[in-house]
Amino acid sequence: MTNPRTDHPFVHRILDCGLEMAVLPLPGRPVVAMEIRLFAGFACEDPKYLGVTHVLNEAISKGTAHYDGRGLNDAFDEIGATHVSQAGRETFAFSGLCLPEYLPRSIALHAELIRRPTFPEDACSVAVELARQQLLALDDDPDELTKKLLYRQTYGQPLGRHVLGEPDTLARLNRDAIVEHWRSHFSAGRMYVAVAGGVDPDALADQFEKEFEGFHTGEQNPGPERERPCWNLNFAPVRRHYSKELEQEQIAICFPGSAVTDPDFYSGQVLIGVLSGGMSGRLFTEVREKQGLVYWVGAWSDHPRGAGFVHLGASSTPQNAEKTYNTLLREIDRLADDLTQQELERAQAGIVTRALTRGEVTRSKAAELCNDLFHHGRPLLTEEKLSRIQAVTLNDLRRYLEEHPRDRVGAVTLGPREIEFTNDG
Amino acid sequence: MSDSPFIVHRLPNGLTVVIEVMPHVKSAACGFLARTGARDDPPAAAGVSHFLEHMCFKGTPTRTWEHINIEFDELGACYNAYTSKDRTFYYSWVRAEDFERQLDLLADMMRSVLPPDEFAMEKNVILEEIAMSADDLPSCAYDFLYEQACPRSALAWPVLGYDQTIKDLTREQMQEYYQRRYAPNNLILLVAGNLAPEQVIRAAERYCGHWPAVADLGPARTIPEVKHGSAGRQLDRFHQQAVLVAYPSVSASDPFDETAEAVAAILGGVNSRFYWNIIQKGISTRAGVFREEYADFALIVMFGLCEPENCETLLDAMRREARQLAEQNAEPKEIQRVKNLRRTSLANESEAPFYRLNQLVDDIDYHGAPRTAAERLAAVEAVSAETIGEYLRRFPLTDNGFLVSVGPRQWPNGG
Repeated sequence: MTNPRTDHPFVHRILDCGLEMAVLPLPGRPVVAMEIRLFAGFACEDPKYLGVTHVLNEAISKGTAHYDGRGLNDAFDEIGATHVSQAGRETFAFSGLCLPEYLPRSIALHAELIRRPTFPEDACSVAVELARQQLLALDDDPDELTKKLLYRQTYGQPLGRHVLGEPDTLARLNRDAIVEHWRSHFSAGRMYVAVAGGVDPDALADQFEKEFEGFHTGEQNPGPERERPCWNLNFAPVRRHYSKELEQEQIAICFPGSAVTDPDFYSGQVLIGVLSGGMSGRLFTEVREKQGLVYWVGAWSDHPRGAGFVHLGASSTPQNAEKTYNTLLREIDRLADDLTQQELERAQAGIVTRALTRGEVTRSKAAELCNDLFHHGRPLLTEEKLSRIQAVTLNDLRRYLEEHPRDRVGAVTLGPREIEFTNDG
Repeated sequence: MSDSPFIVHRLPNGLTVVIEVMPHVKSAACGFLARTGARDDPPAAAGVSHFLEHMCFKGTPTRTWEHINIEFDELGACYNAYTSKDRTFYYSWVRAEDFERQLDLLADMMRSVLPPDEFAMEKNVILEEIAMSADDLPSCAYDFLYEQACPRSALAWPVLGYDQTIKDLTREQMQEYYQRRYAPNNLILLVAGNLAPEQVIRAAERYCGHWPAVADLGPARTIPEVKHGSAGRQLDRFHQQAVLVAYPSVSASDPFDETAEAVAAILGGVNSRFYWNIIQKGISTRAGVFREEYADFALIVMFGLCEPENCETLLDAMRREARQLAEQNAEPKEIQRVKNLRRTSLANESEAPFYRLNQLVDDIDYHGAPRTAAERLAAVEAVSAETIGEYLRRFPLTDNGFLVSVGPRQWPNGG
């Protein structure tokens, strides 16, 4: 099946095997970048086996039908190809980078990894043991621990899970559970692939077709599942303090925003830029520059498919924590009050210029393309997205803020001093 | 050298300008390398280099901190700065057509007026940064390693300094340090992008040509000695234990530099012996080997994080791997892996001016001149089993090195 659109440089196809492929040909680039994702993230886990996606990620490269673990990694090294895999919330991702002449070999090795893993018993046991240690080690990573607590109390199930699972579910994990997660969630119909670089899209399509033909289709996975509905989200605006011996208090705040596919998404992105686009952003200016309360402070957005959240974060010593927290809340509240044209233009300039400069990096283009497939189900021109950013006006921002009241705010503080949450949402 | 992409030009005041022309891009990255870092801090003012880096964003003769931040953001720039033990680097990456505005801003920042009010305010920010670092186990272990393995040397203190030295630091002390260390003859302007070299040189003359050179840049650097021994620091608030063993290595400007890098990669990089024989044995969640490189000095450090009761097992495993490499040398495929991955990373690096800028900093600081990808690849291609064997004879990893550990267990000093 071919993509009906011809007015852009992409080749976008659903292959007969069920895999969705998008290619951005960039002739002359010195490297090729590839992103392979499957709808197989930890949101899909059986609640009995939380953490299985992470463990699967550790174990999947430790042996395949044709290679042992070292042999497979050596085969990638023979062509100087990098390969990284990551167990994400909604998707399981493989990222590869190589010289253009080695792309077919890199694809073949990825196919070996994805569809023919043997999950050796000893590798599975080690993966579970490492996950157990990593879960305990979360205690040494206040930033990640704070995120885990915030997601759990505000996003609910299943999106509020943490990739490392829970102690009791990890203890239950064995090879059978890992294989079952792979068998039921890894299939051509759940795969989408983005490639950027100097490549021949037809040759690529032929190879993907061959490599993934019949991959878990028709059994547990009846047909492509990429059209399935988004996860249900029941945002809970809970604010809670967690006590822990630390030098600094961690502060994390979030509230609902717009989804990537919403018409007002671009206004939301510009507002994030106003808050935290650069050092002239409101958070850096008000919290760090004017009051010296923190070293780091920032805002960003998080986008499960079909949803959106705005996050604010900072860390400061206990004596500064309450002031920092209150300043963050004040900045959320006053967003609509005194927006200026200059702030709008700076936020737009930041988004546009960074997209253009980072666009010179092939890996960034592949990641952008893959994100578009995830959220929109099709490639989008960078220029199209940037023109939407540039079209945002102050009135758009004011309208956005009216339509997205910031009265349901979730928060976590982690540290030695309990903050009084006076402004309950 | 007519086909070289590099132009090196020196202004009369001693400022070196290094340009890499990249006709295939539409952007330009630009940075000032100040050849000064924590090892140049007066001991009583530990942290002054890093604090000064913050102050360079706080006000110039013509711009307040707000103007600086606003102008960078009007350009949509990716910009920041960092301080290490031997350098301070300020950088920005914008569209090529905005290059001159970017240079104007960065150059102006090199002439900071160190506003007194901002000096007091920024102290708080630095103290927050020190507190943040104290909550990070790897940072604590890294600082403790230098403090113990290179005591009474200029590498002993953390880049951020200590709470007390920061609290005690005066603006006058910083000013005195600043005037010496940020002289044009101690700065290098690095530029990479789709630009005409004449345009860059003219702009550099306009924005930097009037800066006066300084004869006395301050005390010369001394090369620290690496002690043998061990030390432990008990910090109950962490769950894991960090274990590090450091050995002297060849400096970044030594011809054996790439061989030392290969040793680190083979032992502790991707698909390495540490990965398969330590992490994949369930001994450690994170273990590897890294090098701490300077123009005149280097360490090679084996490290790992483990559960406190596994310190001995982890240490034994790291030493066993180092010993086996020394006894049996590297396998041909291990050496080839280093070369293959470097070829890909060089291709990747050539795509964007910002990536190139970071490599230019190393080349200039450690090799005195920019190097082409072909020159760097040739240096990697020269690595062989023979050079690895010779390196390990000169810098054996089989003696005790200096062992440090930080975590909830008082180890290795009893306990």
